[in-house]
Amino acid sequence: MYNYGGTLAADNVDEDKEKYARFMERVEAGEKIEADDWMPDEYRQTLIKLISMHGISEIMGALPEKEWVPKAPTVKRKLGIMAKVQDEMGHGQLLLRVAEDLMKPYGKNRESLMEDLLNGDLKFHNVFHMPTRTWADAGMVGWLVDGAAIISQTNMLDASYGPYQRALKRICQEEVFHAQHGEAIIMALAEGTKEQRRILQESLNNWWPSLLMFFGPESASTTGSSKQEVTTKYRIRKSSNEELRQAFLDKYLPRVFSLGLTVPDETVHYDEEKQRWIYQQPDWNEFKQIISNNGPRSKERLRLREIAYENNRWVRQALAPQVVVS
Amino acid sequence: MKSFETVEQAKQNPAYYEALTELLYQLADDDFIISFRGSEWLGLAPHIEEDVAFSSITQNTMGHAFLYYQLLEDLGEGKVDALAHERAPEQRRNASYFEKKNGEGSYYGEPWYDWALTVVRQFLYETMKKVKLEAAVKSSYEPLANTAQKVLMEQPYHLAHWKMWMQQLLSSTEEAQEKIQARLEEAWEEGKDIYDLGPKAQDIVHHQLISGESELKQRWLQEVQATIKDLPADSLGDKFGSGRSGEHTADLDQALQTLAEVYDSDRYAVW
Amino acid sequence: MEKQNESNFYREYEVFSKKNEKSPIQHQFSLLAPNDDMALNMAQENFMRREKVLDVWVVPRNHIRSMNSEERLQWTNRLDNKDYRSTKGYGYLRKKWSEKEQGMLDEKEIMSWKEVKKS
Repeated sequence: MYNYGGTLAADNVDEDKEKYARFMERVEAGEKIEADDWMPDEYRQTLIKLISMHGISEIMGALPEKEWVPKAPTVKRKLGIMAKVQDEMGHGQLLLRVAEDLMKPYGKNRESLMEDLLNGDLKFHNVFHMPTRTWADAGMVGWLVDGAAIISQTNMLDASYGPYQRALKRICQEEVFHAQHGEAIIMALAEGTKEQRRILQESLNNWWPSLLMFFGPESASTTGSSKQEVTTKYRIRKSSNEELRQAFLDKYLPRVFSLGLTVPDETVHYDEEKQRWIYQQPDWNEFKQIISNNGPRSKERLRLREIAYENNRWVRQALAPQVVVS
Repeated sequence: MKSFETVEQAKQNPAYYEALTELLYQLADDDFIISFRGSEWLGLAPHIEEDVAFSSITQNTMGHAFLYYQLLEDLGEGKVDALAHERAPEQRRNASYFEKKNGEGSYYGEPWYDWALTVVRQFLYETMKKVKLEAAVKSSYEPLANTAQKVLMEQPYHLAHWKMWMQQLLSSTEEAQEKIQARLEEAWEEGKDIYDLGPKAQDIVHHQLISGESELKQRWLQEVQATIKDLPADSLGDKFGSGRSGEHTADLDQALQTLAEVYDSDRYAVW
Repeated sequence: MEKQNESNFYREYEVFSKKNEKSPIQHQFSLLAPNDDMALNMAQENFMRREKVLDVWVVPRNHIRSMNSEERLQWTNRLDNKDYRSTKGYGYLRKKWSEKEQGMLDEKEIMSWKEVKKS
């Protein structure tokens, strides 16, 4: 679990109870909580974990797609994917700013977040531990990985925490461009040559388990931890992991099939009676391994981030305003 | 000197056409290779906010390359994507200094990119670009003059960005100053083709497509000196030859292989 | 003794922008930068790269005295009894004027007075 520096000293317990009741009243009335408002420790901790992981995942998520930025097959595609990866960095910026303000009482800042990432305390999303082998993978990340991200982010557009809600609104507006950018790459491949269709199908086969894992396990019993109950209690998000996964399958599987693509799971079908998609569970042990930085590309991606961080340290040192120490 | 308003007019005069396309290749290839090196930085800049700002500049610059390739396409030189992806290194007209790798290693291995090199190169490049654009606005080829006018709209931000980095690093720590100084000296050994107009320079100037080399150089050095007081004393060298004559380094091969990897997997496919 | 502390690189700035001549300055977001010039240079591309901008402000966050949580809660409430301050309290004039065959000088009417007959 992400250890960002422990808990704050508890106030008077009775006073806290009163504050807590008023806080919950506000949350339940749909009011927005701001950075300097009183908030229960559990709320702050939940937000820090959620938003710092969300933010750092955007930063780490830029890396697999970035591999294909200079390689994109036309000048227009180069520009499109560059703008898209730039947005991912931009989303990271927005989210990390929100997390940094929440962590301030613990004396933590951007630097601490980067260091926590590099020492393994701060995790990033499972999909960004995976390799992008072909141009079709770059398209698949833009289409379905972003599609999954859109489903989970739009679900939090009414989040009780004001700064997060406002950042998400900006992010989701840009995601509309991302969704269409991904679709455009996929559409060209799907309507292209035999080889283009082959790499597209191969890519979907490779990404399928990661896409199912994206939303996390159905319940805590699957992997031993789940934050979904707390995040819904505090009205940060509305739906459960499984509800989000079902929404993703609802929106995207018909589009997948309409392109003549298949998914590597013969049991996949929509159960009319249960009103839900039936699918084979991905390997949740593998999921645990992946998000513990033991995925196929975890080490390389962290190394990239480390090099960028260490190698540019002299720049930050050079421009940091001088502090006179007596 | 009469001006050439259309493609047809330019094509009627073979000497003019040759000088014109030569200059356009230089302008297009410079922007294209600089934006390629910029795109390699994506995700790796000194901090996130800079990463985002730098990427906008890179995208704008690749957009400028597109506009110049478009002018060449209009002149019948081939499709934009073919011009960007298919031409062999010896056909490329960018300055060889601009193709230099961002530092040791590669993005796909361990990218030990050097921010000092990037600040120095981008600053020198943007100052030269401004001087060239201001001259190209008066070009005898109207479509080029119009394009230069458009590019000049968003280029001041680019120049301001790199000027700021240059000024701030130069007035910061000793370590930063030394790094910048070393990269400046390197630029002076390698960068003559920054202002070089290549073997057809005389024709280019004769047809009033852009100002002459000595004028470009002088105005450029003035711009540079306004920001950097202590420039290397020597005149600029061409350690790796002149890119304007198609002389390039292995760094350009790496760039072109990367740029065209997917494109080359099927040149006739729709991507 | 002077010390270069890398942490000082990350100073907090609030970013504001103005879309067009008629629009007011609007808060965008916050960013981290080592000084004013760099904050200003990064601001537009970080937050307004898809929209038109006419002007940008950056303000070091510690230069802003904003309301704190308590002040927001306690100072922003007002009783709803201030009709005298708005047109709401003078609505009866409409009827009076119409009896005298005159129109009401309401907002729409007054705002339309920017054009005056040329002499």
